[in-house]
Amino acid sequence: MTDRTTEFFEELDARGHEPLLEKATGILRIDLSDGKRRLRWLVTIKKGDVTVSHANAKADCVVRMDQALFERIVTGKANATASVLRGLVAIEGDSQLLVLFQRLFPGPPNGRKRS
Amino acid sequence: MNGLVQILDGNTFVVSDARGDIEASLTDPTGLFSFDSRFLSTWILTVDGERLNPLSVDDLQYFESRFFLVPGTGTVYVDAKTSVIRRRAVGDGFHEELTILNHDDKAVDLKVRIDAASDFADLFEVKDALKKKGRYSTEVRKGRLLLSYDRGSYGRRTVISATAPAKLDEKGLSFAVHLEPQGEWTTDLEVVTASGAGGTYTRPKYQRGQRKPQPNMERGLDHWLSAAPRLESDSDSLKATYRRSLVDLAALRFSPPIAGGRSLPAAGLPWFMTLFGRDSIFTSLQALPFTPELAATTIQVLGDWQGSRVDDFRDEDPGRILHEARYGEMTAFEERPHSPYYGAADATPLYVVLLDEYERWTGDRRLVRAFEREARAALAWIDDYADLMDNGYVSYQRRNEDTGLENQCWKDSWDSISYRDGRIPGFPRATCELQGYAYDAKVRGARLAREIWKDPAFADGLERQAADLKRRFNRDFWVEDGEYFALGLDNEGKQIDALASNNGHLLWSGIVDKSKAKSVARHLMGPRLFSGWGVRTLAEGEGRYNPIGYHVGTVWPFDCSFIAWGLRRYGFKEEAAVIAAGILDAAEYFDGRLPEAFGGYERGVTKYPVQYPTACSPQAWSTGTPLLLLRTMLGLEPQGDHLIVDPALAENIGLLALLDIPGRWGRVDAFARGRVEIAPDLRRRARS
Repeated sequence: MTDRTTEFFEELDARGHEPLLEKATGILRIDLSDGKRRLRWLVTIKKGDVTVSHANAKADCVVRMDQALFERIVTGKANATASVLRGLVAIEGDSQLLVLFQRLFPGPPNGRKRS
Repeated sequence: MNGLVQILDGNTFVVSDARGDIEASLTDPTGLFSFDSRFLSTWILTVDGERLNPLSVDDLQYFESRFFLVPGTGTVYVDAKTSVIRRRAVGDGFHEELTILNHDDKAVDLKVRIDAASDFADLFEVKDALKKKGRYSTEVRKGRLLLSYDRGSYGRRTVISATAPAKLDEKGLSFAVHLEPQGEWTTDLEVVTASGAGGTYTRPKYQRGQRKPQPNMERGLDHWLSAAPRLESDSDSLKATYRRSLVDLAALRFSPPIAGGRSLPAAGLPWFMTLFGRDSIFTSLQALPFTPELAATTIQVLGDWQGSRVDDFRDEDPGRILHEARYGEMTAFEERPHSPYYGAADATPLYVVLLDEYERWTGDRRLVRAFEREARAALAWIDDYADLMDNGYVSYQRRNEDTGLENQCWKDSWDSISYRDGRIPGFPRATCELQGYAYDAKVRGARLAREIWKDPAFADGLERQAADLKRRFNRDFWVEDGEYFALGLDNEGKQIDALASNNGHLLWSGIVDKSKAKSVARHLMGPRLFSGWGVRTLAEGEGRYNPIGYHVGTVWPFDCSFIAWGLRRYGFKEEAAVIAAGILDAAEYFDGRLPEAFGGYERGVTKYPVQYPTACSPQAWSTGTPLLLLRTMLGLEPQGDHLIVDPALAENIGLLALLDIPGRWGRVDAFARGRVEIAPDLRRRARS
């Protein structure tokens, strides 16, 4: 998986602190599957301080979806909330972590129309 | 909605006829709804093939009702040998106890049938009558009737079962009932709603034998009522209106999954049981002196969903506060932008206003510190994203031209913003009240920055900006020949010169120069705007004025409550009391439940307020209106750790006491006596 997904998590880990997550504390696990194998991303958040790994740990919120969908989400081509409503994302546990986390996803690539 | 019965719990609700039956078409708004989808569109009870006749309906609670029925229709004289009781409670689907009594001294055999079906319509489809794109299926499995709808990964299911022996087929349930003389037969029916392919099945929370209500609200109605201040008055009508408001506000509370079990006001029952930025903020402001916890949840939930990126489809910007969130099929498939939709230009500055007002009442600095980042982002949005014309004013123009909102202010109908001659301006539009809210947000943001965030430089900057905005506004929006503020500036920066109720919101915001306030108040109380009941949305004589036009002449109780607050802010105590009296008089005609809007007809002409036809009642900010009017009549104003009481109320209210008003002072009481005389023609002009 090369890709914007890896970049997204690596950048997040490198930043180490994310202001949009300052109200969040907990472990968010994102399981991405490409049909054959599953890749686990473990995001540990402590009042905005973030570390990302592939470690196995008990998570407060587990999110599962296709790897291709997540790739579209981190490139702004798909919207996370609409994907959840469509049944493409399975969520277990504290969904508030995901609500705060989805703010890190970019908007669509076409940018802003201005009058 | 005459004859329709509504019960709800959170955003699950049932709308049926007086027999308890549901017989919906695509455009007919009855059914069992949950998360913006219809899960039952047919639910019809027959006995021996006959529909039943309603004798009475008890609305036991907002989540529970009981229907008393007899067989046989169309006769004046009912002499039934059997009677039927349906007791229905909603909460994660619904639970219905169906009981049939035989009053005869002979045994009887009856064929009892429930027809059931679902069209799984999205609420938007119910409003707009659109065709479905997915696949329906029906199945009887293990004693359950399963109704399903699938569109790719999107699935919705309704699962129906009964406790008594039943014969199930794909269209419903049949019971062969034998009743002994004076005998009784009963069954429990369970209707479960499920989402997703696998389907998470949650059983309806009400079961037989449970007599204690446990709605999805954080606490029961009794607790809610006893925690609110107690009102005593010579006016029975005011007491009834106050109680109605509290009960309706309880019904309108809703707990989105991310609110941690706490609740905030949804916009209106039943079609708007969802998160609306503007409506939740205005209602929370109205209810602050009574139920401050609603404001706290509103601040948290809207803050968590604050915009973080640029997304044209959703009209989202970083820092912007959402307009509306929906969960149905059309939202899921991005045929509608409500996931969530951000197209409101007022919710973002109002968010800061609410945060400050909340702290002034409660002293809850912890929350103000926790949401500092969101408040700063909201303030930054005003400057960085809302100034579409680069002229220093907040304006709006949708970027989603297919399904976005044209008018992103509270008057959101297509013709609400017009010039005197009735022409409609182009976009962007900078309506006047948006400038007032932006001004107030900056002033209040400065106070929070100075006192709580300890950032005096930021506070100084905001205050300078606010002063500059006020100076420019009083120059650019002032209509010289009319001596009032224009409804807005158009896309060329020219005045949209109609006279409208928005002037009252300007008083509330504090943006009006003292020297201009008297003239504004005179207009608000004058014959073109004041109907005798309240202030018309658009003044009589304007090109588009229509006394039953949605935002172009009707009177909106919520609008009037903020106008009354604005009048008080500038010292027009008696004028505020006159408006409060007019709206509270109107409330009496609606049994204490103010509608969203009523006709702008002259009070002396119609004698009673003519309700604007609307499907939504109660409406949250109409429900909050009597509360804010009580605040303005009593002149309640926090000052440091004290609550100032400075009453001015109409004579006919007599004695008024509001006991145990919660706030940073603990609990205090306010007492008043009505002394403001209201002229016999039921109107009173501002003294010039």
